[in-house]
Amino acid sequence: MQAQLPIMQLHGVEKTFANGTTALRGVNLNIAAGRVHGLLGANGAGKSTLIKILSGAYAASKGDMIWRGKSVRLDSPKAANKMGVATVHQHIPLVPTLSILENIFLDDNGLWRNSADLHRRFDALSKRMGYWLDPDLAVSDLSIGQRQMVAIFQAFGTGADLIVLDEPTASLALDERELVYAAVKQLSKVEGKAVLFVSHFLDEVMALTDQVTVLRDGVVVMTAETGNLNESLIAEAIVGKQVAALEHAPRHHARQSASGVTPRLTTKNLASGGKLHPISLEIAPGEVVGLAGLLGSGRSEVLHAIYRADQNATGEVLLDGKPFGRSTGAAVAAGIGLVPEDRNRQGIVPDFEIWRNITLPALDGITSFGGVLSRKLERARGWSAIRTLSIKASSPDILVTDLSGGNAQKVTIARWFFSDVKLFLLDEPTAGIDVGAKADILRLVRELSDEGRSVIIVSSEFEELLAVCDRILVMRDGRCIAERSADKTSEHELLLLAGGHGGEDDTPTTPQELNGGRNA
Amino acid sequence: MSVAKKHNIDLSRVPVTPTDKVKPNWRKALGLQEMGVYYALALLIATLAGVTVYIGQDNYLSIQNMSNVIYQTSLIGMMAVAMTVVLISGNFDLSVASVAAFSAVVLVANAATWGFWPAAGLAMGAAMLLGLLNGAIVQFVGINAFIVTLGTMTAVRGLILLYTDGRSVSVTAPEVTDIMKAFEGGRHEGFWFILIVGLVLFIYGSWIGLRGIKAGEPLRPAVVGYLAGGLVLVLLCWASGGELPIRNPVLYMSIFTATVWFTLSFTKIGRRLYAVGGNAEAARLSGINVTKYRLMAFVFCSMTAGFAGILFASRLRSMNPSGLQGAELTVIAAAILGGTSLFGGAGSVIKTLAGALLLYSLTNGFNILNLGANWQGLIEGCVVVAAAAIYTIGDKRSKSKTGG
Repeated sequence: MQAQLPIMQLHGVEKTFANGTTALRGVNLNIAAGRVHGLLGANGAGKSTLIKILSGAYAASKGDMIWRGKSVRLDSPKAANKMGVATVHQHIPLVPTLSILENIFLDDNGLWRNSADLHRRFDALSKRMGYWLDPDLAVSDLSIGQRQMVAIFQAFGTGADLIVLDEPTASLALDERELVYAAVKQLSKVEGKAVLFVSHFLDEVMALTDQVTVLRDGVVVMTAETGNLNESLIAEAIVGKQVAALEHAPRHHARQSASGVTPRLTTKNLASGGKLHPISLEIAPGEVVGLAGLLGSGRSEVLHAIYRADQNATGEVLLDGKPFGRSTGAAVAAGIGLVPEDRNRQGIVPDFEIWRNITLPALDGITSFGGVLSRKLERARGWSAIRTLSIKASSPDILVTDLSGGNAQKVTIARWFFSDVKLFLLDEPTAGIDVGAKADILRLVRELSDEGRSVIIVSSEFEELLAVCDRILVMRDGRCIAERSADKTSEHELLLLAGGHGGEDDTPTTPQELNGGRNA
Repeated sequence: MSVAKKHNIDLSRVPVTPTDKVKPNWRKALGLQEMGVYYALALLIATLAGVTVYIGQDNYLSIQNMSNVIYQTSLIGMMAVAMTVVLISGNFDLSVASVAAFSAVVLVANAATWGFWPAAGLAMGAAMLLGLLNGAIVQFVGINAFIVTLGTMTAVRGLILLYTDGRSVSVTAPEVTDIMKAFEGGRHEGFWFILIVGLVLFIYGSWIGLRGIKAGEPLRPAVVGYLAGGLVLVLLCWASGGELPIRNPVLYMSIFTATVWFTLSFTKIGRRLYAVGGNAEAARLSGINVTKYRLMAFVFCSMTAGFAGILFASRLRSMNPSGLQGAELTVIAAAILGGTSLFGGAGSVIKTLAGALLLYSLTNGFNILNLGANWQGLIEGCVVVAAAAIYTIGDKRSKSKTGG
């Protein structure tokens, strides 16, 4: 299938936000009908901004959008839909209580919500997609993979000619991904739609797309036919020759568990249902271990299983050679501290001031008469956290909800500094926070390690892992697929391991045999 | 808990500089959101006092009448305080009144054969079991507390009907009724007690206030709270002319509320309970046993209801199977008037008590002014909705104002 005149063209698109951040600096993109166009880039490269411009959620600050040869300006997602662009967002926005049919035709202007006509249209859609679901099932009863399919149906049902799929496979299990692959192939090859496919998984990009565009820091750094590429080239384009924001401090202490020293943490066959396959770990005192992996790779599950926050987890966990009870309370008492991934949902108590948030897990140290709290000591702890971690707050009496993301994150970390925590579990500690706070947090990790405390960090920013870790474990599909010493690996290699099947490890995960998309 | 001494990041070592002053936010502390229920109570009492004087009736503010209102409030007040605890934990309990009635029936039906104290123990035990049942279904099956307790409210009422066969039960045995009279109807001369409590509050308030002023800190709202509370009690003693009878239920309510207030405000248990209601997942990941705290809140609430039921039965010395029906709504209304959040994590038992007093002052006012009971429901309903509106709007305002 040869490339025809692109159905959607972007010329020199720039986007600068009101606060002065520039997300896109002159992006050119050509998307042709009947082809799958892969869009890749690291976190913060500008992918989401570009998608929002395509779907009409943002207006470009500069540059042209040309649709079927005509320059257009989109002022709302509705206008984009009308023109023929449908977007399937990463967090699938369906109404869980409505049926599949009602969700797919949610935008429809008919009076009846369950008419025979809609059923006929649904049947036609399923036939064309070659995928069948009972249209009367409620969306809440579906698996995530099926929901993703409903969202794709929804996009397809609008009759759009360009379908944007934003990381459609990020949270899907392997077999569910196949459904999406088949749908994408159907849409492009049979229906002749243009598809923009955003993904972090290099193998599926290689297998599925006809053409690839890689963004870095708001600029297109590579556009090429997929046939001329391999995973390694793509990974290199994504990483680039970045100037590492962090100096790689020399870590001359060999912290790999020397024989005779009791490991700080030992896990034996730690597993959790289908989300986490058995993993056995040993972490030495003072060692910093990184868990590299994409969203849904099982990286957070490892932390939750160690912390005993996952009720379904099986297997043994020993801290300093000693087992502890099966509850978060027991883990905290044993000396483990978790900084969760979702700060607002899992980390802070919104009605509490900084000081009450900080003292929460270690109230024992500031009580007298068997449980009466000393406000003076508590506020003093608030102050010392503010000083030591340079939290930007005028006093500990500020509500955490009034802090910026980075400062709130520091509060959730500072919690664990007032008891003798021996093992820190940090889940994406630097996600969504500014560069300064990031550097502060990474410096802190090093200091913790220098004191002999062990740290496990989960991050999707591999560069950071390389900067602070002694050892990096790569997670994919709920398994630990590789282990690397931080000074013997590169961001490039980690990206390949986490996102594809690079590396010579005994990878039990064989990605599906996909070759439909490559015959460009 | 060794506060790490050998570490570089030894946070406990960082000196607390003299800039460490609690900056009081007077506007917030005296705003409708924080103080609304006290203002409303004061306004209502002032109005009723003014009107009674104006139309030449007995003064509303007479010691006799005031102690009556407080006495009437005591049972509902205690249950409302316990309800506040459940609400803070992030749950809801509609079954309090049914549980209280069940406890009352168990006491009355068994007191003659077993004696008062064993029967009371049985009643309390039954009530706590019901609380445990509520909590277990909510926490382990995962059904919404509103639905569960709606069910147990009805079911327990049905249990009462089965137990009593739909008839009133009563105790006549004099050895039991004597204990009941003493337990519920006992009076104490409370003049000195109240005077001392008032003086202690006043002196404590002045002490920490003066200490703060000496240290150069601005005046804190809590200081004013202590001073005002102490002053009110001392004035009450002065106005009473030396005689202030306290009835037993009022005494129980005071001790109970003070204990719960202290626990919630100053202890680990209280802090953890607020955290559980404020963000259960964050509390769990901080090592707090969320299930235990929520379960215990239910048991505590039902236990209090059981105690209230015992007082109720002792007051009447008989129990009608439909007794206390509908009281759960008054209990919840009192908590809402006190500004307790239905979403958990926020609430104050003192304000809940003020809310209960407000409701009973209204009722009492209607009786005194002979306004007719027909108006009562309408006015009470409006007061509850108005209070909720003030809290909600105030909440939105305060959130949009603070921005960094």
